[in-house]
Amino acid sequence: MENKSQRFKLLDTLYLAMMILPIVCGIIIKVLTNPPSEGISITGAKIYFTLKMPIQDLPITESQINSWFVMISITGLCLFLTHGLKEKADTKRQHIAEWIVENSEKLVIGNMGEFFSGFAPFIASILGLSAFSSLLALFGLYAPTSDVNVTAGWAILVFVLITYYKCKCGPLVYAKSFADPVLLAPLNIISEVATPISMAFRHYGNVLSGSVISVLLASGLQGLSAIVFGKLPGFLGEFPFLQIGIPAVLSVYFDVFSGILQAYIFAMLTMLYVAGGFPADEYFRRKALKNN
Amino acid sequence: MQSLDVISVNFWQIVISLANLTILFLILKKFLFKPVKNVLEQRQQTLDSKYDEAERSVVEAESSKKQWEEKLRSAEEEAETIIRTASEDAKNHGNRIVAEARDQAEGIVRQARSTAELERRSAEEDIKREIIDVSAVLTEKILGREINMQDHRTMIDSFIAEIGDDDDGNK
Repeated sequence: MENKSQRFKLLDTLYLAMMILPIVCGIIIKVLTNPPSEGISITGAKIYFTLKMPIQDLPITESQINSWFVMISITGLCLFLTHGLKEKADTKRQHIAEWIVENSEKLVIGNMGEFFSGFAPFIASILGLSAFSSLLALFGLYAPTSDVNVTAGWAILVFVLITYYKCKCGPLVYAKSFADPVLLAPLNIISEVATPISMAFRHYGNVLSGSVISVLLASGLQGLSAIVFGKLPGFLGEFPFLQIGIPAVLSVYFDVFSGILQAYIFAMLTMLYVAGGFPADEYFRRKALKNN
Repeated sequence: MQSLDVISVNFWQIVISLANLTILFLILKKFLFKPVKNVLEQRQQTLDSKYDEAERSVVEAESSKKQWEEKLRSAEEEAETIIRTASEDAKNHGNRIVAEARDQAEGIVRQARSTAELERRSAEEDIKREIIDVSAVLTEKILGREINMQDHRTMIDSFIAEIGDDDDGNK
């Protein structure tokens, strides 16, 4: 018994380390590779190294590394929450794990219907990856969601799923869905193609704009503080008093609220597009015919 | 250190991000949803079995209650019949005893009566004999001669029998 609980504690520590260490690692890498610089520069992710690949060279940047860190953290969180599950729930972490699972299933079934209940882990992973990626900005790290490639990858995966479920009844039904009013077929096709692009750019744009505004405001506050308190002698004149507190309030909006809201919107749109594109009536009619 | 432009599309980065989401989906499915759902299912099963058990025990309790009620009712009936038969028995027994007693009393009375009759008869006989003797003595004395005792006796017997008959007729 003693041995077992010792082992249990050891595993717990391991999982907690798996959750926390990636973020610490990210901060360390950021500090090591980011020399303090004057002025503002709004750029994309930093390139650590470049791999030679066919079609296009692959630069491994902050956004890739950070999303892998987030993934490792989420995996650690999952392992920690589901460690020592019992039939009789008596630990807080089991309640949290059950809350996550039950609510994501409720959300998915409520928005997509019983047929898509297998989507719950997918929606949960979109929510988790997107929200935690955006929240990385709280640690001063580069948020992977402010890289268009990251959100584009997710949007393309969602587009593949939409198309897959639209094709469930064969290509003919899929083709027919565009020609609802026949004259509008070109517009329908454009809107279909626009779906992933709009999803990718909405998410990326919101998060990036938040960080851009944060940077602009921080430097603006520095200038304002230099004007207001510049007359003070010595060190006090150079200290940016206005940068205390005010950027934090903005960060609550742009990093926490906006990040979580965008994750929610992305997940919501995924659910609506996949469930909306799926010709449910036709599918169940055919299934019933086949069964008979 | 170099950095990307704010908007720079890279095919491989898109592929990596797509793969990341897929991998995270599989991780969540395997490490979060599967174990939690297993536990939930187990709990549901236990709950179901508990409910079944409770229902079964309620049904059992009801049936046993019914049984007991039936038993109680039958026991009451039995007690009633026992009491009834016992009282009937007692009545019969009493009647029999009374009848026997009456019989016995009647027998005693009859016996007493017959004994009294016998005694009366013997007393009558005695009286007759006395009368005969006395009358014989008297007649002997009156007539002064001895009568043949046998003749005398038959004569008197007939006489007395006449008297007795008269006596009986008067009665």
